[in-house]
Amino acid sequence: MQPILSVHNLNKYYGNQVGCKNMNLTLYPGEVVGVVGESGSGKTTFINSISGNLIPDSGKILIETGNETIDFLEISESLKRLLIRTELAFVHQNPRDGLRLDVSAGGNISERLMSIGQRNYGNIRQTIFKWLDKVEIDKSRVDDFPRTFSGGMLQRLQIAKNLVTSPKIIFMDEPTGGLDVSVQAKILDLLRKLVRELNLSVVIVSHDLAVIRLLADKIIVMKNGEAVESGLCDQVLDDPQHSYTQLLVSSVLQV
Amino acid sequence: MIELNKITKKFTLHNQGKTNILVFNNLNLKINPGEIVALTGPSGVGKSSILKMIYGNYVFQSGQIKVNDHDIDHTYPRNIIELRKNIIGYVSQFLRVIPRVPTIEIVMEPLLEINSDQDEVREKAEKILLKLNIDKNLWNLSPLTFSGGEQQRVNVARGLIRNYPCLLLDEPTASLDSVNKDIVLNLINEKKDSGSSIIGIFHDEYSRKYLNAREIDITKISDAK
Repeated sequence: MQPILSVHNLNKYYGNQVGCKNMNLTLYPGEVVGVVGESGSGKTTFINSISGNLIPDSGKILIETGNETIDFLEISESLKRLLIRTELAFVHQNPRDGLRLDVSAGGNISERLMSIGQRNYGNIRQTIFKWLDKVEIDKSRVDDFPRTFSGGMLQRLQIAKNLVTSPKIIFMDEPTGGLDVSVQAKILDLLRKLVRELNLSVVIVSHDLAVIRLLADKIIVMKNGEAVESGLCDQVLDDPQHSYTQLLVSSVLQV
Repeated sequence: MIELNKITKKFTLHNQGKTNILVFNNLNLKINPGEIVALTGPSGVGKSSILKMIYGNYVFQSGQIKVNDHDIDHTYPRNIIELRKNIIGYVSQFLRVIPRVPTIEIVMEPLLEINSDQDEVREKAEKILLKLNIDKNLWNLSPLTFSGGEQQRVNVARGLIRNYPCLLLDEPTASLDSVNKDIVLNLINEKKDSGSSIIGIFHDEYSRKYLNAREIDITKISDAK
């Protein structure tokens, strides 16, 4: 099997400041890779650099579409935008960054559908209802504005909005950050189900090791912009080899 | 078949004065299909470490581990993920699940990896839960609020719903009453009879005898002091 996404020697600097350097990643279909590290370690810079939100200074990003291998940093701007709307998706920590608040819930979900050329109102409406159901938002809320939604509902709406076009690769930056624990559990359950049902490939950033343990197959531990350790998720967490990972794992409070 | 050849395992605690703890030096072990091996010895000698090395949770410094002729090789995490899907099953001592997910779904999950027929999988999950005396009223609740014995049986149900060629059991009967213990032991025997290679830690003599297990005293092969 071919990896659906591979990142080689990726570097991103802010002036002289290291954003992330020498980063590598291999993501196979159906796999979840977690990126962990303390704040300021370069997690968000990394995920933004591989998802088209930021332009890295050097490195290679290869995306396998099934028909061809796309060199993500070399393609035209228009093709890149098309990819971002179809094959890729980005779930922000703050759902307000990923949703249009002055457009109805249904309108938010239909945006990506219409951008890939769907015009049949009946079909679109049906797909919207299917996705509201998947993310457990009551159908009666379809025409309501997101600003009337709770934080947990907003996050579920953002997930629906992103997944409606069946993207192959999903990037998530702290998708459960800022949510209270019971809502977090619900989102985690939803994400796990969707990953299995739709065979999603996911890169997820979180500072919460428990979240990563429950969701990820593989893990990358970052410190000062670099990966200090990577590998099988529960192995890195159960038997960390690098001193920083050992510190990180032993710093988690037990409940 | 599970084989461990010349395994060295040590822990280096970087943040605690770079302390080195040697657990095994030249560990050799072989578990044949249709055989149950029981690891014995006081806690801290490395019984769980052996299971965790086979499952891939723990790395080892040298030597070779093979399950059904496949290498446990940490340079290829993808391969270990595949082995866990198809070859190695693991019943741990503790239940680690997402809060609020119903028991029935937790038990169904490993089988859904290889069978997408929801109804068929649900039927199998119900069957094993019934066998393990988990009350029907509990199936749609999260097991996190269950008693210790119930949680353990949910864990067993999840681990034994499939037929893995290699099975690792970490005290699967530790907090069970005698009736339920026998039920779990019978399930394990069924797996043995179907040809699984089974290695486990069983805290009581009774379970080891019931399973007719080959006992290995880890104090004799461990270097942990």
